[in-house]
Amino acid sequence: MASLELEADQQIPSITKKVTQETIDQFESCGILDRPNIHNSPALAQQHLGTSYPIASGRMSIAFAAESLRRFFGPEVFNHTGTVNLKFLRPVKGGDTITVTGAVNSQEPTERGNLVSVDIFCDNQDGDRTAIGVGTAIIK
Amino acid sequence: MADRELKIFDYDAIEIGEELGSYEYILTQEMLDNFRASIDDPEAPFPTLAVKHDATAFAMVYEDHTGGVNAGNEVEFFNPPVPGKEIRVTGRVADKYLRRDKPYMVIEATAVDEDGRLLEKLRTYQMKKPGEIGEKWHPSS
Repeated sequence: MASLELEADQQIPSITKKVTQETIDQFESCGILDRPNIHNSPALAQQHLGTSYPIASGRMSIAFAAESLRRFFGPEVFNHTGTVNLKFLRPVKGGDTITVTGAVNSQEPTERGNLVSVDIFCDNQDGDRTAIGVGTAIIK
Repeated sequence: MADRELKIFDYDAIEIGEELGSYEYILTQEMLDNFRASIDDPEAPFPTLAVKHDATAFAMVYEDHTGGVNAGNEVEFFNPPVPGKEIRVTGRVADKYLRRDKPYMVIEATAVDEDGRLLEKLRTYQMKKPGEIGEKWHPSS
């Protein structure tokens, strides 16, 4: 669990994930609607996006960021008070490698504890930023 | 989940605050295992992310020929779901707006399990002009 005395700019654990069409398809298989979509159907990706390949769901990047934040805050904290807010800047596709980094931005006392905000960045193997956002959790 | 007659999605006609209804499903261990494998995180506690509660609520009500691309997500975690438990999801249209001449729609969903435990709140910002993706990043022609 993160220390109660977090420092400004303290880094969260960096994690790197290889995204393949197989992992994208597996992620999509967790849904309860058995319908093709722009993530698992090249034809629908072509039709709706104009790309020649499917793109990964942005929610995979949410999950990557959540893992990094969970490791930083600890599951007892993050799984019950955590948030992730990401804006997606460019597509992620099979073959990409995504690295999540981040650092503490601010801390604010609340009735439930100390609300810690962390800036989050997702970058691909070329150094291009794929998502940016903020994660939070409340520590006591 | 009962079959419902889908409405044709019309961005201009959809209303902010419109309820997308609710649905229930059983979270299985297989779903959790697949989710964890897909993101290479053996301790990931929220397979609900991959179920896409809000988008599923929308897809259960609307037939969308426009499509959309996810411009952003906001998620709040309250309690990890437990395999074998029923999850009840309620969804709504939270907002819609134009930004840089592009139409956006915001959908959200709240998930509670059969014991009344609040699990997750999820909000998705969908850009309803998805062809912009191909034009901007990877023209196919």
